[in-house]
Amino acid sequence: MIVEGRGFVRKAMRLWVPLALFMIFTLFPFYWMVITSLKPNAELYSRKVSPLIVYHPTLKHFVDLLSETNFLLWTWNTMLVAVISTAISLIFGVMLAYPLARMKFAGGGLIAFTIAATYLVPQPLLFIPMADLINRMQLGDTLTAVILTYPTMLVPFCAWLLLGYFKTVPIELEDAARIDGATRFQTMYRIFLPLCTPGFISAGIFAFTLSQNEFLYALIFLTSTDVRTVPVGAISELIRGDVFYWGQLMAAALLGSIPVAVIYSFFVEHYVAGLTSGSVKA
Amino acid sequence: MSEQVLPLAAGRRAAFSWRRLFEREDVFSWTLMALPLIFLVVVLGYPFVYGIWLSLQDRPVAKAGTFVGLANFARDLDDPVFWRVAFNTFFYTGVATLLKMVGGFGLALVMNQTFPMKNLVRALMLLPFIVPTVLSTIAFMWILDPSFSVFNRVLISTGLVEPPGPSWLGNPTLAMASVIVINTWRGLPFYGITLLAGLQTIPPELYEAATIDGATAPQRFWHVTLPLMMPVVYIVTLFSVIFTFSDFQLIYVLTHGGPANATHLFATYAFDIAMGAGQFGLGASIALFILPALALLLIALARYMRSN
Amino acid sequence: MTSAMTRRDAVKILAVAGAGSLLQARPGQAATSITMLHESSFIKAFDEYFQKKIIPAYEKAAGVKVVYEIVSVGSTLTRNTTAAETGSGPDLTLMALNWPFLFDEKLVDVSDIAEEAGKANGGWHDAAKELAVVNGKWKAVPFGNIGQLMNYRIDWFKEVGYDKFPDTWDELLEAGTKLKKKGHPFGMELGHGFGDNHGWLYPLLWSYGGAEVLPDGKTIVIDSDETARAVDFCRKFYQATMQEDVLGWTDPSNNKAWYAEQISCTNNAESILYVAKRDFPDIAQVTGQALNPQGPKGRFHILNPWAHSIFTHSQNLQASKDFLRWLMKPEIVSGWYDSAESYYAPFLHAYDNAPLWTREPRNLPYRESLATSRPLGWPGPVGRKQSESVAKYVVVDMFAQACAGKSTKDVIADAKGKLQQIYKS
Repeated sequence: MIVEGRGFVRKAMRLWVPLALFMIFTLFPFYWMVITSLKPNAELYSRKVSPLIVYHPTLKHFVDLLSETNFLLWTWNTMLVAVISTAISLIFGVMLAYPLARMKFAGGGLIAFTIAATYLVPQPLLFIPMADLINRMQLGDTLTAVILTYPTMLVPFCAWLLLGYFKTVPIELEDAARIDGATRFQTMYRIFLPLCTPGFISAGIFAFTLSQNEFLYALIFLTSTDVRTVPVGAISELIRGDVFYWGQLMAAALLGSIPVAVIYSFFVEHYVAGLTSGSVKA
Repeated sequence: MSEQVLPLAAGRRAAFSWRRLFEREDVFSWTLMALPLIFLVVVLGYPFVYGIWLSLQDRPVAKAGTFVGLANFARDLDDPVFWRVAFNTFFYTGVATLLKMVGGFGLALVMNQTFPMKNLVRALMLLPFIVPTVLSTIAFMWILDPSFSVFNRVLISTGLVEPPGPSWLGNPTLAMASVIVINTWRGLPFYGITLLAGLQTIPPELYEAATIDGATAPQRFWHVTLPLMMPVVYIVTLFSVIFTFSDFQLIYVLTHGGPANATHLFATYAFDIAMGAGQFGLGASIALFILPALALLLIALARYMRSN
Repeated sequence: MTSAMTRRDAVKILAVAGAGSLLQARPGQAATSITMLHESSFIKAFDEYFQKKIIPAYEKAAGVKVVYEIVSVGSTLTRNTTAAETGSGPDLTLMALNWPFLFDEKLVDVSDIAEEAGKANGGWHDAAKELAVVNGKWKAVPFGNIGQLMNYRIDWFKEVGYDKFPDTWDELLEAGTKLKKKGHPFGMELGHGFGDNHGWLYPLLWSYGGAEVLPDGKTIVIDSDETARAVDFCRKFYQATMQEDVLGWTDPSNNKAWYAEQISCTNNAESILYVAKRDFPDIAQVTGQALNPQGPKGRFHILNPWAHSIFTHSQNLQASKDFLRWLMKPEIVSGWYDSAESYYAPFLHAYDNAPLWTREPRNLPYRESLATSRPLGWPGPVGRKQSESVAKYVVVDMFAQACAGKSTKDVIADAKGKLQQIYKS
């Protein structure tokens, strides 16, 4: 009895209490977005009732968002841009990180530093010369413009994050493959990369999120309403002067992010399962 | 596989030597790295040089510039707002990164345990990171409004403070604290998920061995978990520092640097000077001050990563 | 197998996306299409009028297609800057505040259009020229002024004995003191927003006789007894009538507080009343609007114009000029003005008594305020230095720091230091 009771307290201290605290911290603002998106305007501004409860829920803001703006089109654009720029960034990231993690060659340290140093170029200044480049390539107002520019901020990140993961993977398997006569490329592609799924997933999640969140390049390069992404579309059409369409803004935030959360969760699940089945330690 | 072997068989002699060459570590490495490196140089090289060139000029928007050497940088050092902004940026980055690191480790350790509905919880935990910053920041305009804030209602009901209670964005100290907490809120899931991925790669046998040797949970964390996680911790921290240091959207939307510059950061101030005031040269020089501080950090990290 | 599938899919997506985006039309390519950049109006009907009435009408009349690109208030300057710097993008654009002075080298001289429009529409108000004429040439055709005036709760002011809005700052302070005691504080922005802060702080400074710099653009005059009196008043005003939160406010904050019935007086454009009429009819009934109070040296407002310009990089210069000229014809521009009520107070005398004013008499002070409206930084010269002072919130922060508790001497010295640095080079 005593042992069991102590076990419960320990479990509570190690799991339930911190989990609850994390959940509250993480989800409270989200709860606020949900209720804001469901409140009629009169209730939103009312100080007489508790702001935490929705008394007369309405789907008006969602309906307005979907009927009066191009929200679905923005979502499609955002996903397309995010998927492609993430894919490009991961591929480039591997091409940079694998040699840096596994090969010995002159200049490796310098390259690693240079890649990270690209972040030293201050972004608030990048956009004018970048706009100039895009303009010369005749890509203004096309999704290609942002698909090309997002990797500039994602590739260095992916390369470095993958570099960190690559270093934690034991080298013995690759040595064995080399002895069996595999080429370097085969070793990397067939033996090594499948072991690094967790790294790909966390780098991919990060890259994807950064692309769908990006505001400045999207604002400048995507100017007509049917090529816009969610953040730029929502801000341009739902913030009008000092008048904010609060309910619709929050509806846009929710509709844009919940599906992504579900997909992410699936990916995370996938790599956790793959790892615990013991494939890494084989 | 088969399509790779075919051409090899066709031109045996030539392919053989090509293959030998390609098997050399340096040739293989440079071949692989060439395309991404060219991409980065082309797309980032020109803007970078352009930025530096701007910072050396007196360059009004939409007008020709005149070369002024380091005069812009001298002007920055002489500008009291610049020093305030510098302090803010370091403070903001330091505290937020620390909170995210500690919190992220906590979150990863919690999520590494088994409990019911774990998938759902994990999906929910990721939400702050996924919602576009510009939109989630707008929600905080309400959450931090004293008349709607839950904190204020609780504080007032306990009788500790007089209505309307603390002003989260009007008081300089609280405003800084508020934006730090929001930044932490946003960045925590990424820290947690990345560290969780790191935790998953640690072989359970190591823990078992440590437990048999009589190590307590904190000892196991300190002597087994932490050393193995170091590469991942370093990299997540590196990027967290870079992104926090150059944070823009959150401040721009929520406070725009107010009250009275209490939350202005390098990125927002540089943007205001370059855009609002149309002073490209001066704006560039402020933005470039980000460089030396981050460069030192990067050099240290690059050393560390290569030495391992 | 799976990895091969995904790889092939990825390639396919890439190809499709590339082709798709390349196929998309680029506005401005064809000679018969011109693009106009505009800030999204809080009055949806105004944007819709342009999209659904003006554009089709012009296409019918001239065979030219106009593309209307809207961006949010914070993004207009960024888009204009990118367009001017890269020499690409919209043909026509919206210019706010002093932007024609910042971008003048990249803007077409539209003097002929502006003068013609003036003649056809009863002449320009004097204020119109201040921020549109650069070195003797019209670089923008003025449209309307977005006045920043006092918004007040008629019912609550009545409760403490004011049937009319107080005429002087001192009387307003008195009224506010009473109202705050009754739980109805004032709420005027002292933070880093884009307009509602300047909207009352510059007029406050001017009405006490203070200024940043003389018209010569060299002599800094902020360190004066007049400024000190304005600062002292502001601190007292803040302490007696407001709450700490206003120090961190941005532009949407006072609208929000208004509909939450938290505040009894603020400084804002017509948007508060307009949206109240749409969403909060009860509040709309008790919302009044009035001129800024006067101080010892008079009464002032800020000049906050909207105007339209043509970029020199336009590939369709003639088509753009033709369109702008057509837009300013009385039969066209009158309907355009009207679609926005009187939010953009016309700079043209022909509309001084137009229905847009008589429909809502509470908006009349916005027309009256045109005569006492001055550009930010007045009487200093308009241009980039003035812009730098505004972007650095020199005046706003001087007042805000005083309200937060710093001494008058310190905040003025601080502002003086910043101004000296700005106007030195």
